[in-house]
Amino acid sequence: MFRNLQLKSTPDRIEPVTDQLTSSWLEQYSEAPILLSQINLLPENIKKRVYRILIPPELLARFQIDPVSWKGAGGGLHVRLDARAGSNSVRLMAFSDDDRMDEFFHLEISDNAEGSLEIKMLQLNDPQSPRFGTVINREVDQDVTGKAGRNLEEEQRAMEAGLAPGQIRDGLGALKITLNQFETFLAATGHRAYFLEPQFYSAAWLFEKRGFAYVRGHKLMDNIHAEFQHGGRLHQALDSSTSFRKPDAWRFVRGRAWAIHDGILEAISEKWEDLRMVKQVGRKAGVETFPGAEY
Amino acid sequence: MHQITRSAELTSLPEFRKYINLACSHHSGIDKQITYDLQLAVDEACTNIITHGYQGMNPGSIILSLEFKGAYIEVTITDFGHAFEPIQTPAPDLEAGLEDRPTGGFGLYFIYQTMDEIEYTTNPYGNRLTFIKKLESAVG
Repeated sequence: MFRNLQLKSTPDRIEPVTDQLTSSWLEQYSEAPILLSQINLLPENIKKRVYRILIPPELLARFQIDPVSWKGAGGGLHVRLDARAGSNSVRLMAFSDDDRMDEFFHLEISDNAEGSLEIKMLQLNDPQSPRFGTVINREVDQDVTGKAGRNLEEEQRAMEAGLAPGQIRDGLGALKITLNQFETFLAATGHRAYFLEPQFYSAAWLFEKRGFAYVRGHKLMDNIHAEFQHGGRLHQALDSSTSFRKPDAWRFVRGRAWAIHDGILEAISEKWEDLRMVKQVGRKAGVETFPGAEY
Repeated sequence: MHQITRSAELTSLPEFRKYINLACSHHSGIDKQITYDLQLAVDEACTNIITHGYQGMNPGSIILSLEFKGAYIEVTITDFGHAFEPIQTPAPDLEAGLEDRPTGGFGLYFIYQTMDEIEYTTNPYGNRLTFIKKLESAVG
């Protein structure tokens, strides 16, 4: 019945799971993804060699930090690596000062249940720029995004200074090189894609520009854009009822992001939750849910 | 490689059709019938993804890519919804009377009729449906 048809249904090969990386396993399964939990079991200096790839050397050079020793001009260690044996996550932080107070790079990644990698947090802060206390709930250890508790005065100051929600300082303009560097790490460790959950509209838009697609939330992003147009319910809800809902906020990514952070999605019976993005290593999806956007 | 990513919504289907038409028009030797077959196959596959794959989810993306490889065209559709196995779907019984036929199933039948190879893979990075359309198969 089916002219010329050849059918193949090929599940991707699943490699045998091993906790401990060995040279023979690496030799035998050259394309098998390596998990962070496996790397974390390696001796400290080997781990450090592997995880060095995660920080762009040019970013470290900008702060006079040696990309190999992680020491600054004053001789102090400027990079902190948390990658405990038994853990499936890694945290890497770089500081511009010897006292390790001014963090400019913060990356947290982890294995997920499906054996791929997730970016749990990525912050790139300009340590020379003013800092805003937009986070008030320090009790929630994992929450450094400002969502667990809002400091409205500081948020307003941050917004007026041109920051997006979730930012405590100006960015470094280094997202592109950081993600490129991360993809180098992923290719080396055998991963073909990675995931993250954008906490803010502005973050989702930035990751779209860097080639991410949506596992969940593409339709929501389309709806948000449509509803921010003239006559849309979000456009109408920009009624100056709070500082974050100014009438012209729909024109800009940051304006929309602050309004959404302020809960404006109630106007369309939606919430900013459950969005998930994916990036194929080496490829750009070309998503643009806010065409011609100004940041 | 040509690639387009749109939301998993029925309103995206015309954009996929238009995109295939545009991509095919830039390559010589691809006649209207081939373009139409590709549009139909993509339309049916994406409809399945939208109505079944992303069912119960906050819909994500569908990534459509076309690669023109001389003797054949490779079409890849990637999504991140529930895995949907089109190859396991039985062909509709064309001999049955109209009242005895179950609704649906014809879209996949058309894909099987018009494409030369179909491959479906699913892994942690998403679901990938690949069609191969040989250019010479459209002749005669």
